[in-house]
Amino acid sequence: MTTPLDSSALMLTLRLATLTTVVLLLVALPLAYLIAFGKSRLRFFLEAVVALPLVLPPTVLGFYLLVALGPLTGPGRLLRDLLGHTLAFSFTGLLVGSVVYSLPFAVQPIVAGLRSVDRRYLEAGATLGASPLQVFLRVALPLAKSSVLAAAVLAFAHTVGEFGVVLMLGGNIPGRTRTLSIALFDLIENGQFHEANQLALLLLLFSTAALLLLYARPRTQAEVA
Amino acid sequence: MLALAGIVSLCLPSFLSAQKQVQPKANAGGEVTVFAAADMQPVLEVLGPYFERRTGIKLKVSYGASATLAEQIVNGAPADIFFSADFVFAEHVVAANLADAVNPTPYAKGLLVLWERNDSRFKPLSLDTLARKDLKSVAIANADRAPYGRAAVSALKKMGYFPNVAPHLVEAESVGQAAQFALSGNAELAFLSQTIAMSPKYKATGSFVLFPLSVYPDIRQCAVVMKASSHREQAHVLLNYITSDEIQNHLPELGLQKIQ
Repeated sequence: MTTPLDSSALMLTLRLATLTTVVLLLVALPLAYLIAFGKSRLRFFLEAVVALPLVLPPTVLGFYLLVALGPLTGPGRLLRDLLGHTLAFSFTGLLVGSVVYSLPFAVQPIVAGLRSVDRRYLEAGATLGASPLQVFLRVALPLAKSSVLAAAVLAFAHTVGEFGVVLMLGGNIPGRTRTLSIALFDLIENGQFHEANQLALLLLLFSTAALLLLYARPRTQAEVA
Repeated sequence: MLALAGIVSLCLPSFLSAQKQVQPKANAGGEVTVFAAADMQPVLEVLGPYFERRTGIKLKVSYGASATLAEQIVNGAPADIFFSADFVFAEHVVAANLADAVNPTPYAKGLLVLWERNDSRFKPLSLDTLARKDLKSVAIANADRAPYGRAAVSALKKMGYFPNVAPHLVEAESVGQAAQFALSGNAELAFLSQTIAMSPKYKATGSFVLFPLSVYPDIRQCAVVMKASSHREQAHVLLNYITSDEIQNHLPELGLQKIQ
């Protein structure tokens, strides 16, 4: 039975969303750099791949994580031997699923932020002898730092709201894979509408607060321009 | 297992001859929306085509956990007939005043099994496998919503395996998802209905052992026809077909026991 103040589900969800956000920022910065400033024609391809989770049904991702990376395939067995367990039914599995599923929510705001940086600042940096990496880290990124905040908020909130992948992959294990959205699903399915109402309200308030934070944040110079 | 497969394949043609003895109803044809417990999927996949050919009635089937389906029906889902995997969830629909009878109709008795893939590290499979200290993941259907999940918890407790197995249970939405967890190799063992364990895919991929009937309450699978259904007559044709002696006698080959 799930109770509305299922603190293990709350803690698990916060832990999952925090770790996902940290991993995503580490992954998203280089990806956003390549997409925004890359010279290769392949960057359109990269941009499309990054956006895939926006349009892909979560069941597709769930299927691949469960079957293609399950213990019946070579890569799946390798993963299992490295981790000591299958991706399915584990926190690691949820983390992998969340990182993939929230990837566009982290990359796209940063790309938009970087693209809106006035090129003249970047060129000035380069003229003064900074390497492209230095220009990115010390000129472009500080100017777009508000978009990094936006990416973090969106990635975090989207992970809290994740459902389909967790349902397919999780196994509903308290403290390990039973996130708030799954706990809510359980309450509804069991007809515990009163408790479901409390949890749904909590999630609604959280999501609203996250978006308010996002839209009320101070805009950087680049975005204002 | 091979012998079992032989029996099933030998008996399948006899379904055809059995059906010829049943007189088709006058108002044949139409379409019936069936909500069926996940354990019935392999059964209806075998019987459905015979039924459709004989009666001209098309079946549109949704599978799920019995409680989930009952809840959907109570909330207005347009089912014509509901095959629950137990009595309780069929009774929910009756209690909501949606059924066209005062009691659910029993149509089969379900059997609980423990299933594993052929490439499992637990060989040979026995119920004592559940006492092993190196279990990692055992798939079970949600005990609140799926009768086979409920039966599995009851069996584990009665046999004393529960404390050993509980930390390794991974919960599925229905017995169908529990089966998929184990078929895909992600779960090492699964509590399944014998109907799934005996279906061709699972028979070819794994093996199973039955739980003794004494360790879990009877899985008395019951059906209800919806009062508000516009295809009530066709729904009853289907229910009569499943409860007919001809089909009842074939249930053991499909993993169910006949009703007494």
